[in-house]
Amino acid sequence: MTAAILSIDEQVAAMRAAWPQFSARRIDRRAQSARWVGSVRPQYASYSLEIRYEVGSLPEVRVLSPDLVRLPGNSEGQLPHVYPPAEDPTLCLFDPREREWTAAMTIASTTVPWALDWLACYELWVMTGRWTGGGRHAGQDIGEARVTT
Amino acid sequence: MNIQLTPTGLNPFDDPLDRILAEIALSIQLPPSLHDKAKSRYEAVRRHLETTTAFFDQIEHFYPQGSMAIDATISTRGTDDEYDLDIVSQLGGRFRGMAPLEILTELEAALADYPVQRVLRQTRCVTLFYADKMHLDVTPSLRVYATLDRESLITHAKGPRRSADDRFVDMNAYGFVQWYASRTPLELRMAKEFHRRWLDHAGLAARADADVDDVPDQCDFIVKNTATLALQLLKRFRNIRYSSYTGRIPPSVMLSYYAGLAAQPNMSLSAMLVRLASWIIRDIEQASLYRRLLHVANPICETDVFTDRWPESIAQQDEFAGHLRELIRSLEVMRKGEMCPDTMMDTLRRSFGERVVTRAANQIATEIGGGIQQSRQLYTRRGGLLLPSATAVAAPIVNPAVSVARPHTFFGRKI
Repeated sequence: MTAAILSIDEQVAAMRAAWPQFSARRIDRRAQSARWVGSVRPQYASYSLEIRYEVGSLPEVRVLSPDLVRLPGNSEGQLPHVYPPAEDPTLCLFDPREREWTAAMTIASTTVPWALDWLACYELWVMTGRWTGGGRHAGQDIGEARVTT
Repeated sequence: MNIQLTPTGLNPFDDPLDRILAEIALSIQLPPSLHDKAKSRYEAVRRHLETTTAFFDQIEHFYPQGSMAIDATISTRGTDDEYDLDIVSQLGGRFRGMAPLEILTELEAALADYPVQRVLRQTRCVTLFYADKMHLDVTPSLRVYATLDRESLITHAKGPRRSADDRFVDMNAYGFVQWYASRTPLELRMAKEFHRRWLDHAGLAARADADVDDVPDQCDFIVKNTATLALQLLKRFRNIRYSSYTGRIPPSVMLSYYAGLAAQPNMSLSAMLVRLASWIIRDIEQASLYRRLLHVANPICETDVFTDRWPESIAQQDEFAGHLRELIRSLEVMRKGEMCPDTMMDTLRRSFGERVVTRAANQIATEIGGGIQQSRQLYTRRGGLLLPSATAVAAPIVNPAVSVARPHTFFGRKI
């Protein structure tokens, strides 16, 4: 049995309950879309995050501030595990081939905690040059995934 | 009913900033292998001295002083792997009536054939240099009777000939240790976790598991209190800031005195470091305001002056206060989460040294990244990521504001 797709109201309610510091903006019930902005501090620094979601597509997560640090020449790329464009990257938090996210899941229980994971790994990557959270870049074999660099 | 609970201390590995500071402290600690050696070595030196004609039956007490006695030993200035340890040898009646230089020379002669790389007579002690870069200072002393326990005179003589500057200096290192210990009691939670990781870092995981429930109150060389951890960091900070300085630097015993004063139960490590540095700044500012040199004496022996050789000028003390202000400013910005990780690394490296900070960050990256890959992390409602320590794993049971992780795989491109 396939689980039911959650409506934007259900997503908004789940976000409000789990992450009250994220305020929902531009809730569009006709388009079934919303935008949330909130501040988090997974480890060392505070970040302002933006999440955009439209039912039927994948959630998009951006770091609004501070600017993300790039490490040119790093083996993981100058900024790992993101979707282009380089000047406005969105975080890539799950592997679509693994079906780790579906529209029946709440953003509150998946996207937000995964973004916190990304930020924690990103900070330690900036500090050490090593992305230790595992994962897979597009084009990389699944067998190579989850390898700590 | 008021219930007084014994302060257990905060686990520094549960807070991100405290964790990196604690990892830095772990990197500069006397490692377990040398810790075991230090204990056996100072006992061996005593046994050796007692076999010599000059010292047979003349050693009344042989006890650690300084950082060794308060569990605050860190690597020597300018190094990451050399350690200075201090022993006081309280001598008997044969040495009373001798001049300071004579006593030091006798001690040097008795240790001349001791199996170490080098034996060096210094102004107040004789230093033994071991091949593994440990240095053991043996300071001869004579008990001042009718005073508090172990108040003593120690020798001061530059040599090689007698000089008008030769003298005995009053001190009570033993009493200071008792004072310090009374101010910095065992914080069990913090001490157990630190001890476990200290053994773990040295590849002694099995011993870490065995010893973790066994951190006794009197356990030598084991950091037992957050103030002592902050003291180690402050000493390291001083060593780095004065690494190319040739003159005297703020003395460790003075910093220890302030750590004893600043100690307060259940404070975070970063807050304790700020508190300790602030306390010193306040006293320096007060002294400089009246154009006086900072004066710090042993709290149980006022003639034992910790600042007798530093500062030599008001400018020197003001310079140290400036360094401390810079340390506090950067820690405060980090505590507020307002410093980017690259800037934080640069700042920590400038404060505590390149190698140890890199090692600390690598250790944390491996642990946190590994925890995330295994979905062992937890999240606070305010958007914090808890680390997979034993304490955090138990958290959801008692803390509904913490949620558990769901497995996922980072994807995307390299841009």
